Amino acid sequence: MSSPIWDEFAKLALKRIAASGAEYGDIRVQDSSTQHIEGADRRIASIRDVRDIGFGVRVLYHGAWGFAASSILSLEEVPRVADLAVEIAKGSASIALEKVRLAEEPIHRDRVVTHCRIDPFSVPLEKKADLLLNTMETLHRQSGVERSSASLWARQDRKLFVSTEGSHVEFDLLAGQGECAATALHQGRFASRNFNTPYLRKGYELIEEADFLREASRVATQAVEKVKAPAVDAGQYDLVLDPEHLSLTIHESCGHPSELDRALGYEANYAGTSFLTTDKRGTYRYGSPHVSLIADNTEPETLAATGYDDDGVMCQRWDIIRHGIFVGYCTNREVAPKIGEARSRGSNRADGWGHVPIVRIANIGLEPGSATVDQLMADVKHGIYIEGHGSYSIDQRRYNFQFGGDAFWLIENGRRTHMLRDVIYHGITPEFWNRCDGVADRTARRRYGFITCGKGQPGQSGWMTHAASPARFRRIQVLRGEGHG
Amino acid sequence: MTLNGDKWPKMTSREEFRFLSELVLTRSSADHTMISLHDHHAGTTRFANNQAIQNVDVRQGKLTVTVTFDGRQGTASTTDFTAGAIQETLSRAENIAKVSPVDPEYLPPPDPYVFPARETAKPETMAAGPPRRLEYANEAIGQCRMENLMAAGAVSTSATAVGVAANTGLFGYERRGDASFSLTVQAGDATGWSAAAHRSINHLKVQERTLTAIRRAKRSRDVCELPAGRYPVILEPAAVAGLWAWLIRSLDAKAYVKGTSTFAGKLGEAIVDERITLQNSPDHADLFGEGFSNDGLPSTPSVWIDHGILRQLAYDRFTAKQRGEAMIPTLEAPALSVEGSSVDSIHDLVKRTERAILVTNFWYIRPVNLRDLMLTGMTRDGTFLIENGEIVSAVKNFRFHESPLQAFRHINMWTAPMEAVNSESRKILAPAVALPHFHFSSVTRF
Repeated sequence: MSSPIWDEFAKLALKRIAASGAEYGDIRVQDSSTQHIEGADRRIASIRDVRDIGFGVRVLYHGAWGFAASSILSLEEVPRVADLAVEIAKGSASIALEKVRLAEEPIHRDRVVTHCRIDPFSVPLEKKADLLLNTMETLHRQSGVERSSASLWARQDRKLFVSTEGSHVEFDLLAGQGECAATALHQGRFASRNFNTPYLRKGYELIEEADFLREASRVATQAVEKVKAPAVDAGQYDLVLDPEHLSLTIHESCGHPSELDRALGYEANYAGTSFLTTDKRGTYRYGSPHVSLIADNTEPETLAATGYDDDGVMCQRWDIIRHGIFVGYCTNREVAPKIGEARSRGSNRADGWGHVPIVRIANIGLEPGSATVDQLMADVKHGIYIEGHGSYSIDQRRYNFQFGGDAFWLIENGRRTHMLRDVIYHGITPEFWNRCDGVADRTARRRYGFITCGKGQPGQSGWMTHAASPARFRRIQVLRGEGHG
Repeated sequence: MTLNGDKWPKMTSREEFRFLSELVLTRSSADHTMISLHDHHAGTTRFANNQAIQNVDVRQGKLTVTVTFDGRQGTASTTDFTAGAIQETLSRAENIAKVSPVDPEYLPPPDPYVFPARETAKPETMAAGPPRRLEYANEAIGQCRMENLMAAGAVSTSATAVGVAANTGLFGYERRGDASFSLTVQAGDATGWSAAAHRSINHLKVQERTLTAIRRAKRSRDVCELPAGRYPVILEPAAVAGLWAWLIRSLDAKAYVKGTSTFAGKLGEAIVDERITLQNSPDHADLFGEGFSNDGLPSTPSVWIDHGILRQLAYDRFTAKQRGEAMIPTLEAPALSVEGSSVDSIHDLVKRTERAILVTNFWYIRPVNLRDLMLTGMTRDGTFLIENGEIVSAVKNFRFHESPLQAFRHINMWTAPMEAVNSESRKILAPAVALPHFHFSSVTRF
């Protein structure tokens, strides 16, 4: 856990903040270790071990924020940075129109630890490198595969959060992931197929539970089948989307528009705003009655389940879309009161000690339905089954989107037939979700996460998990993703 | 209060980096050792709804050590510059290298080189701190308040000490500074945008950019919806930059050699209009030229696309050696130009246009298909219909489906290159262009 001297640093910083007359302040001290092993084309291209230590001090002075941070952890630097944060907050206050008022939160004194069976940092590097080399060899065993890649990633975050209100939370968090990909060539065309474990807060058991060699064999075969597959004919299709694919659709078309800071204009200059404006809460039909999207930052192993956010607010579970109606936002202590909510939803996170926390998407997942996957497929006469992530783009208010995928199969008369290539589909968010007429049951539910969700200026990477069971969408416009299709 | 410079916390100096690198090199038992420094001091004042919402100042030093034993490599980095932490970082790198497989593509660090000295650190930028950023934010907010509009934007400055050193004798150090300003003006449901980035904070032209964004926002109030389809377009430099950023990213030589590149087999062939040239211009005062790359290679002027013909790919050192390439050019300061008679301004492009869509900027550009570099993305913050030489209306934003290789096959008219900043790509110099065809595949709701 955190070093005892971190508490001394925290006391020193908070004492300076209190002396300044500021109404609120907090300090996050963080020590992060990241190990990333990357293989490419049958070789280990790099093994990197990154250690990132520092602290950030946040101050609310007369209703305006200041933040300063440094990678120098010393008795001289901590008061300098605390004073700088105060001074910056005073500058912000000089042009503040509306004062920031923080939602109330109980004081928390706690420790949060990711439980794991196998510490990923204790696994010998030789074993990890061997796994990646064997995986790439397996990929290349398939005739037609020209390029390969494989990687393992692990991260440990030790963090201390202390606020002037009295909260004191220690964190010792883990996360991991692994993946591989094959690229096949055929008649001058190339196509890739990927396998990846989800990003989850688990130990190395996440990697051991995934059978990389079996998955490598599967994706290599499918890469070759994909590159030789016929291109899709543009037109309307019923789509059955797998959980990994849906994780991105949920993220872009539900996650981002449900961030309250966007709806209030905070991100107007960069990430954008939201079509889910505050007047729509409680009445707006976002999707069909089959669509319930729940934020759950309490589900074990998921990325946003960190016990507490960087406001010191306890993680929670709440509704975003209930039976198709938009009912809730992701919030922090600053924006929650602006829509009359007494308590933050606990979705304020920074991607490290050097960044100020901002509202981030929670672990938003699609609630399972009652059908089996076979039942969903059986009722499709002319459709496409889509797995994984491909091309993606969406406008800054999150209406007009376009998604590709990693693999596509034509569905004819209820049966998955052969692969297709160059499938992309287009939609307007509420129209699309209103065309959902079935979600598979809980047995088919899977979780996928992101660690590269870009938002904020300067840019930060958000972490969250999106769970789903396969779901069916009727009459969706599909385009061919080549030439001028 | 200053961000850096002579006041605490002082940036790592050339002498201090030499001391740190010597410390590592003396203690390293590896065949090859390379050290890189990235000591970054940065601040941002962010505003929205006409007030500051975020005001931050960060110092992050990072030292990275890569060591090699018999072609086995390991890399470790730290943000702690104390002697003990640096020793521990070296040990981590050595421990990794000792158990790593041999990398068949490993090459020793580059030989020493006298890197070009460039003016990468303007004193006015290196000295700028929170008060200067707040002053610029206030200026933009004030203009918008006077017009009863809403401002959202950011003013950022950074100063970075960058170094590379190796036991081959390689040593490079330079200070780099940059400043940026971006603004989105909201006029009810309408928006207008403008942005700038420069080595000198004095060149951000905040007042001029603010007025531009205000003008675009006001013009965007009167909006009509046009059907999707192919239209002639005028692309402002920021929109050109967004499309060309993906073309530049696709110039990877290894993908070219393996046959998984957009450009496979096209080196030496025409890929765009024969009047277009793309160069690296690291000495241009308006670009972010550098003395050397992260690999310890010099940055020099180079030509990548010469009169429409693809002449240069982006090489890693192994592929360059394999292909017998002696020099590995960098492309951190791209300058795109069109030969021939240009028009004076975007206004002149509009005046000479019978009917077209004027695009201020693109957003969320992503590849749909890397085989033909088919891209998709949205128009954003200023999209207009031009008829008979005038802007007659704003139009609802389009999604596009287009390859820059197709779109730039023929250019009708163009301006001289201008500073082009896009929120998703690095700054380049690019002209505004009038293109005969551009494929808008759908329309959004605003």
